[in-house]
Amino acid sequence: MKNLSEALGSLLLFLVGVGAIIGAVRLHIGSPTEPQPGFFPFLAGISLIFLSSIIFFQGWLGYGQKKAAFGEVRRPALLLAVMIALVAVLDRLGFVIGTFIASGLILRIMSVKSWRVLIITSLGLSVGTYLLFDRLLGIDLPTGMLARFHFMKSGLFWIF
Amino acid sequence: MTNLSSGFGVALSPLNLLCAALGALIGTAIGVLPGLGPPATVALLLPVTYKMEPASAIIMLAGIFYGAMYGGSTTSILLNIPGEAASVVTCLDGYQMARQGRAGAALGVSAIGSFFAGTISVIGLSLVAPAIASFALKFGPPEYFSLVLLGLMMAVYLSEGSIVKGLAMAALGLLFGTVGIDPVHGATRFTFGVSRLLDGFDFVVVAMGLFGIAEVLVNLEAPEIRDIFKTSLQGLLPTRKDWRRCWASVARGSFLGFFIGVLPGGGAIISSFISYAVEKRISKHPEEFGRGAIEGVAAPEAANNAASTSSFIPLLTLGIPGNATIAMIFVALMIHGIRPGPMLLQEHPNLFWGVVASMYIGNLMLLGLNLPLIGFWVRMLRVPYHFLAVAVVFICIIGAYSVKNAVFDIGTMLAFGVTGYLMRKGGFPPAPLILAMILGPILERSLQQSLISSGGDPSLFIEKPISAALLAVAAFVMLTPVWKRMWKLRRTTRERAG
Repeated sequence: MKNLSEALGSLLLFLVGVGAIIGAVRLHIGSPTEPQPGFFPFLAGISLIFLSSIIFFQGWLGYGQKKAAFGEVRRPALLLAVMIALVAVLDRLGFVIGTFIASGLILRIMSVKSWRVLIITSLGLSVGTYLLFDRLLGIDLPTGMLARFHFMKSGLFWIF
Repeated sequence: MTNLSSGFGVALSPLNLLCAALGALIGTAIGVLPGLGPPATVALLLPVTYKMEPASAIIMLAGIFYGAMYGGSTTSILLNIPGEAASVVTCLDGYQMARQGRAGAALGVSAIGSFFAGTISVIGLSLVAPAIASFALKFGPPEYFSLVLLGLMMAVYLSEGSIVKGLAMAALGLLFGTVGIDPVHGATRFTFGVSRLLDGFDFVVVAMGLFGIAEVLVNLEAPEIRDIFKTSLQGLLPTRKDWRRCWASVARGSFLGFFIGVLPGGGAIISSFISYAVEKRISKHPEEFGRGAIEGVAAPEAANNAASTSSFIPLLTLGIPGNATIAMIFVALMIHGIRPGPMLLQEHPNLFWGVVASMYIGNLMLLGLNLPLIGFWVRMLRVPYHFLAVAVVFICIIGAYSVKNAVFDIGTMLAFGVTGYLMRKGGFPPAPLILAMILGPILERSLQQSLISSGGDPSLFIEKPISAALLAVAAFVMLTPVWKRMWKLRRTTRERAG
């Protein structure tokens, strides 16, 4: 095995292809004269299995292209963790509070050390994007905890 | 001519002028800033266009696309960092020119060449598009199946990296495109009981993940290094000698870019590389290429601008998006209830000609934006990346949420963001995936209709002349790399034997 990650990637695609075929069979494939809902996913699944097998053997024999090396993965991983946490609490906290906390954390992950920059940027981004998208463009962003302070929405931001 | 003049009537309305200017400005900015490409930007701005008139929305999004081509050259020339992929090749000679104190001439020839190419391409678009659209009206399901297949094959062939991986991504995209309610039979496919998936994956959400979030994740890996080369930016107009050297390169780049852009799958990136290679090959001084040859800046910059405009032709006339950015504009049209394709010109002539006319105007605006504002764009590069990254993340969150006012879509976007990140790391191109997702339902419908009408006989696809020709081209495109490899292998074997 000369290119392990290539082989693992192709194996994942192979499994997706197998899953697609199982799903397609359950949906009924039909025949070319009477194609059923599973017909097209079946063809796509077969193609995926065939192509992932080629990629696997290319990886096995070391023919695969050089893949981009992973750099410092800590920061992308932390960013993802913050975003997953934000997704979990966005409805409860609301957009402004949720993104204020999230942007503070993201900026910290990106090595912004000054607390002043961190707070001002986070506040500016969360309130600024809220005003632009919710108030100006009419996209209904989650209010969350701020729903209790409805007067804020209709009162404080009325000028917008 | 009457159509075009009515198009100018649409494009010259104050709102549409503002949209064109805004699109050109945003496009130039994202072209200048490394780390955010046109597909991600168009995807990010889709929610902004929900409440706009369709023509205004498309005028703005189109402005972003061709504006990015102009802006991309600035970072290539001054920093040796391409703002977007189509400007990679401009680094080779543009940066060398800057090092020799000729940054102004390089930026000037790039902007003026881009303007010339963009104008040539818009003229070509207004002449060619109606003819293609009326020809495409003869297409039935077999022709559409073959055309979509050709479009996908070309997208895979012209995408970066391995063709097998590109094909695998296209197959995965076709599979993702089947999620939700089957449009023909009404059966629920691959939703795993999640009601939110009944309408399938939303393209905006997928594109934001694959292009927006994945791009931020990749950029976060590397430490931020932006070393702006300090040089004189005086004398932006190239000298008479410069023009004598490069006018033919601009013309060749414009025509080459136009024709490559028209091909399904063709686009700004490949056209810039090909035009550079052509210029180097036909030059009397090929040794100067890579050392600051002005032709090496003029030709690819002209080509990528011409291609970005002409790549609207397959979208507006056939309903086939040729690259990821055009795919996002396809989605924008669908969101506004407009089906791109041969009927677009008949059903929405004002939109079609309004967008074409806005491109003429947009090119003029870009010339005005690029040359006097170069100093401003350079200063903008000093904005630290973390501010841009946080803004991108937030706009992605808002964009994904706004599709159905559901946090579920943000989760989906994150999942596609991770997928896009891993795909880039593994050398899997993301563009074929999103194109296949968009084209999958058209491919499935035309395949099923063709098979039903022929009683299950697949020979229908080769009995119809247009379909047969399209399939032959698709087969040729896919077999070219195999022949190339076999030919190389034979030559190596002969050399070893000799």
